[in-house]
Amino acid sequence: MAQVVLKDLVKTYGSVYAAKDVSLTVNDGEFVALVGPSGCGKTTTLNLVAGLIPITSGDIVIGDRVVNDLDPKDRDIAMVFQNYALYPQKTVFQNLAFPLQMRKLPKAEIEAKVREAARVLDITHLLERRPRELSGGQQQRVALGRALVRDPAVFLMDEPLSNLDAKLRVQMRSEIKRFHQDLKATIIYVTHDQLEAVTMADKMAVMNGGLLQQYDSPANVFANPVNMFVASFIGSPAMSLVPLEVGSVDGHTVLKSAEGWTLPLSERNARKVATASSRKVVLGARHSTINLHKTQVDGTVPAKVYTVEPTGDITFVQAFLAGSIVNISLPPTVHVAPDEMVWLEFDQDRIHLFDGETEMALRAD
Amino acid sequence: MTTITGQLSAAPEHIARRPNLLRQMWMSRADYLYVLPAIVVMLVVIAYPIYYTIDLSFFKTPPGLQLRDKIFIGTENYSAILSSSVFWKVTLNTVIWTLASTLIAFVLGFGAALALHRDFAGRAILRAVLIIPWVISAVAASYIWKWIYHSDFGVLGAVMVQLGFLDRQPNFIDNVNSVLPSLIVVNIWREFPFAMIMLMAGLQTVPEQLLRAAKVDGASTWQRFWHVTFPHLRGVSTVTILLLAVANFNSFIIPWIMTGGGPSNASHIWITHIYELAFGRQRWGVAAAYSVLLFIIMMVLGYFYVRALSGNESKEHGA
Repeated sequence: MAQVVLKDLVKTYGSVYAAKDVSLTVNDGEFVALVGPSGCGKTTTLNLVAGLIPITSGDIVIGDRVVNDLDPKDRDIAMVFQNYALYPQKTVFQNLAFPLQMRKLPKAEIEAKVREAARVLDITHLLERRPRELSGGQQQRVALGRALVRDPAVFLMDEPLSNLDAKLRVQMRSEIKRFHQDLKATIIYVTHDQLEAVTMADKMAVMNGGLLQQYDSPANVFANPVNMFVASFIGSPAMSLVPLEVGSVDGHTVLKSAEGWTLPLSERNARKVATASSRKVVLGARHSTINLHKTQVDGTVPAKVYTVEPTGDITFVQAFLAGSIVNISLPPTVHVAPDEMVWLEFDQDRIHLFDGETEMALRAD
Repeated sequence: MTTITGQLSAAPEHIARRPNLLRQMWMSRADYLYVLPAIVVMLVVIAYPIYYTIDLSFFKTPPGLQLRDKIFIGTENYSAILSSSVFWKVTLNTVIWTLASTLIAFVLGFGAALALHRDFAGRAILRAVLIIPWVISAVAASYIWKWIYHSDFGVLGAVMVQLGFLDRQPNFIDNVNSVLPSLIVVNIWREFPFAMIMLMAGLQTVPEQLLRAAKVDGASTWQRFWHVTFPHLRGVSTVTILLLAVANFNSFIIPWIMTGGGPSNASHIWITHIYELAFGRQRWGVAAAYSVLLFIIMMVLGYFYVRALSGNESKEHGA
């Protein structure tokens, strides 16, 4: 296993940046998820690390070697693809043996390694079958096995679960996590599903528009998103974002809505909005931090219920607040109806404040 | 789809379904009515000629006699054909012609498809140029090639003499030894673009991720071709080869226009021979018997063609 360092990685297609100045370090044995919406540059970044597309500028270091100009086979990597990419004419055994045959290993050694990988992944009974005779989950395990037999420095995984149905995806998610824990493998994992990234990764790299937005542990990314994009991308349902204006009532800093209500801010939050580049500030709050009141109490703001989605143990409510949709979660014992007026209470210690111009998170210090 | 075929192929159920089938036909009689005109036309232009040819093959048709006064001779035409030396000569020619044309056209087409699959400047133009032999009229091409091969004025011979390969203009198509290979060259020239187009289409369906996986696994360009591309093209290759084989077996235009089967039957293949027997020498009965034999062979090839096609399908269904 080895660490992977990306330094100012750039990939352009003509004048379009597919990846722009991506720098991050994946420590030895770490599970890093590259996450972002379609076209954000995450797969491009993975392919750059794999060597499947040439880099425009920057450096890729795997272990202690700069691998910029090496072929994929010489980079000591193994890759798992979205649609498994198993060789359809070969049996499972031949699929697993293929990378070893390409390295011209002795037959006995190939046999031993394939059997060992098959044992680890519990696919020994499938060795003589062909890929089309396997279920999606089994195919994915074979694809993992083909990566595993190589004993590579880094595993690169390109959306390996997105072809599986929802139930199997959850199961394979824990299997891959287990795989990582048992092998202490360095894994770079691309996904568009933030839930996969949050649940599996030691660290996540959130990308958008070819730029690395935030690189941190899932807990930190969730708790302290650096900008509005990360805030709205991570977490489900998404963080609610309400554009408001800074104002002042009796010398206290408040947020004002166009509808006329004001929301007083705590002293710490007042310091945050003081650093904003203009009077425009965006209030962010996760569904679980908003309290819903059926009657007006002090410090609440009025909203109108839009939809109610009971899921069993939690009921999700969407409400209009100052022209924006706000997500709130309620215990199933609380009943609200569409178009009902409700009052929302924000937890001053857990709200997020963003600069309305730069979209960056506002900090108190 | 697969389950239905599976049920039908089981014999007892098949019999049990017979009356059911008739009833089904009756219930969808309107559908049959709509295709009736087509069925009538097919019967007139295909079924009746087949019947008439088979019928005719059992008769002797001397040129002096009217066709309706033909003399029934049983299978004598067949035994005469199978014991004649010309038959075996023509059959050998047909086999050489079909095999050589098919295989070389396929290999050349494969090479061209692979070359054109890569991106390079002028690819579109080259592709268009390579398709020309296939899209121009075979009759025109045959006449042009006849001149190219001409023993006195042919440009090919002249160039070979100029370059010093030969002392004098060679006889390409007036020589019993070189005529068949010369015609095969023309046929390949005409046919390889077909294989090229088929395989280019096939190449576009090779999954990019498989090639990438093979690259990461350490496969060289040649190994990627051998382990990923080639197996993927097996289905389209089978179909292409069969279509080429059928077309070559039935070739007529190129040999008929360029040599008419000569000299001394050296370039006769089955179709040209049958044509000459029937329309050149009015030996209708013999020609009909030849046609029946050819028909049987074509049906066998057709059977393999259909099986190759449905084989591909069931594989996809199974996946």
